Amino acid sequence: MSETILELSNVSKTFNGKPAVRDVSFGVQRGRITGFLGPNGAGKTTSLRMSLGILTPDSGSVTLFGGKPRPDALDRVGFLPEERGIYRKMKVIDVITFFARLKGVGAAEARKRGLAMLEEFDLPGVAESKVKTLSKGMAQKVQIISTLVHEPEFIILDEPFSGLDPVNQNALEQIVRRQAEAGRTVLFSTHVMEHAERLCDQIVLVAKGRKVFDGSVSQALGEVPRRVTVEVTSDQDVSQLLAGKGEIARGEPVDGNAIWTVDLAPGTDAQDVLKACVDAGVKLARFEPVRAHLHDAFVHLVGSNAAAETETV
Amino acid sequence: MRAIYLIARREFLSYVATWGFWLSLASMPMFMALGIGMPILIENSQPTRYYVLVDETGGTLEAALEAQAEASRAEALERAREAAREMFGDLPQIDAALASQPQLSDERYLRVDVGETELEALRPYLTGDASFTSADGEHGLFAAIFLRQGTAGAIEVDYWSANVSDGGLRSQIRNALRDHMQTQYLIDAGVSPDLIETADDLSPNVRELNPERTGDTAEVTAAERIPLIVSAMTAFGLWVIIFSVVNMLLSAMIEEKGNKILEMMLASTRHHEILTGKLLGVAAVSATLLVVWGGIGLLGTFGVQQLAASADMPIAEILAAVLDPGLLLPALGYFIIGYLMYGAVFLAIGSLCETLQDAQTLMSPMMLVMMVPLFLVMMAMDSPDSPVVAIASWVPLWTPFIMLARLPHDIGMVDIIGTSAAMIAFAVFVIWGSGVLFRMGALNQANQDTVKGWFKIGGKKRPAAS
Repeated sequence: MSETILELSNVSKTFNGKPAVRDVSFGVQRGRITGFLGPNGAGKTTSLRMSLGILTPDSGSVTLFGGKPRPDALDRVGFLPEERGIYRKMKVIDVITFFARLKGVGAAEARKRGLAMLEEFDLPGVAESKVKTLSKGMAQKVQIISTLVHEPEFIILDEPFSGLDPVNQNALEQIVRRQAEAGRTVLFSTHVMEHAERLCDQIVLVAKGRKVFDGSVSQALGEVPRRVTVEVTSDQDVSQLLAGKGEIARGEPVDGNAIWTVDLAPGTDAQDVLKACVDAGVKLARFEPVRAHLHDAFVHLVGSNAAAETETV
Repeated sequence: MRAIYLIARREFLSYVATWGFWLSLASMPMFMALGIGMPILIENSQPTRYYVLVDETGGTLEAALEAQAEASRAEALERAREAAREMFGDLPQIDAALASQPQLSDERYLRVDVGETELEALRPYLTGDASFTSADGEHGLFAAIFLRQGTAGAIEVDYWSANVSDGGLRSQIRNALRDHMQTQYLIDAGVSPDLIETADDLSPNVRELNPERTGDTAEVTAAERIPLIVSAMTAFGLWVIIFSVVNMLLSAMIEEKGNKILEMMLASTRHHEILTGKLLGVAAVSATLLVVWGGIGLLGTFGVQQLAASADMPIAEILAAVLDPGLLLPALGYFIIGYLMYGAVFLAIGSLCETLQDAQTLMSPMMLVMMVPLFLVMMAMDSPDSPVVAIASWVPLWTPFIMLARLPHDIGMVDIIGTSAAMIAFAVFVIWGSGVLFRMGALNQANQDTVKGWFKIGGKKRPAAS
């Protein structure tokens, strides 16, 4: 069993009487990429701040590297906050060196690593430039370097893709992958599901301060009913034919053809639907099993959770 | 400790790299040089004024004026001789050298004879239409003065000059003639000239004595007042330094908050380490300023001590007062506590604000609080035992300045220990409170409206962060 690097147990936090995080528990395993997902205001940033000891939970406990999030543990963590900024009047290499030294790296080693990472991040020749002379994208890369320069075991990125153009988003995905391949543990928060779907081994989904899901991406997708779209040119009543195979709905006709969508019942797969249609002599213009995305899982899980919460109330 | 050192170092270097720091560093010696040099420059740059004196009384008044000028010259000669003796000792060569100097007084007004005694003939010289030649070139006349005897001993003076702003010569003439008239009046009344001269020299001999001392030591000397002046000046200096330094802290904090660096810092270190590092970094900046200014000041003072012009200045006493541990150590302590109190408050204000405009609202009450001790220090110089000053000493934010000014006066130990204890306790509280505010401000859980809300009845709290 892999080591748990970060563990939040029944953590809650309230600001001015308004709960931001409610009884949240989850763990981050060593060497894995964990996505911390949720809509804006779900309590992601507050949870990450509590993970680092920047905020103290009102109840529950946080364990980082097996202990409280003390400064010595923080030296092993690289954190990129959501609100990103950097010393604009300092030279690029000085900023990187400063943050590395705060994490316990020696001055010469910090400078050496900083210069190497600037090359690696395709920022050659800017080491002696002032940060304020860089473009926004370049400055963000410098901040990511400052987060990683001390070679942390555990990398926490709070909404790392926000504010980046598609090219830089892709570049950041590559960076996250490389860090994971190098054996580092990554936890990042986002409300953009595509990144999480592509990157994560594990996802933790929060909404309105509560955890609504914790598991792998495939497990999350398994929570969403699989769907098949069928376009029929013949006159059979497909709803009767496929009764018992799932929830069936009729869509808007296309070119005079009837469109049916089937949200497959548990234990039923697309092949069963296809076989039933063929056996009944249904003339098919299109048979399309629809692959669910994390976004669908997110909407489904958050929706289910909201419904459950309403029922409880 | 590592984080505190690194943050302090970064703060220090970031200030030292700015133009503002070097300007501040140069400003004090520059102002000192200007303060000393400007009056000398102004004095030396005054042109020599040439005037014509026409005595229509037959020379009586002219002789009186000449006697007065001669007395002034003799006085200047004596001052120069005293200064030279202070520097080089009692050498006969000095007397000889000084005796050979025809002009030792700083005579800005020189009487000349242009060969005319009538106003109409002199008028072109006064208006710049004519000039006369002297050893150092062509000159116009500054003034033409006509003296005549009026009735019943009165003296009438017609003072003709195109320059209405420079009244120095006019005053000289008036004073000299007034003295002459008063003396003449007494002589006419039968008082002998010797008696008048003796009466002029009469002056009471006032001795200021300290009842706490007896015998020869009871007399209060001028040197004893120097510590009082020095302590008040130190209190003002302390105020100026703290005021400049906390403003540096405020702007740096606002810049850091605006640049959104604090959360990244908080992931590496704790808020109290950031607070302490910043305070120490800026303290190092002010220490650098103080050391450089102090060094220049001491060098300047030693330099001045070597100059004959300073013979009358009690430089040794001033230095002794400045370097007195009884003043230096409390000044250092008050500076540290005062700086920590105000610095922590200003850092907290900075952490709540994104821009300097945001900070203005919170700064205004603090500025008022900071201005009060300026007036109270002035009051403490004259009345250190005034109830207002004594009570104000117990206000911890004012204690460093007022107590420093009061220290050389005979104030009770209860005041010294009590105010110091209250100040230290308050400083601890302020630093703790500022740390809490700083943490909230850094994470955007509080802003200037939060603080304003505290002072409103039923004020609304800021909504929670996500």
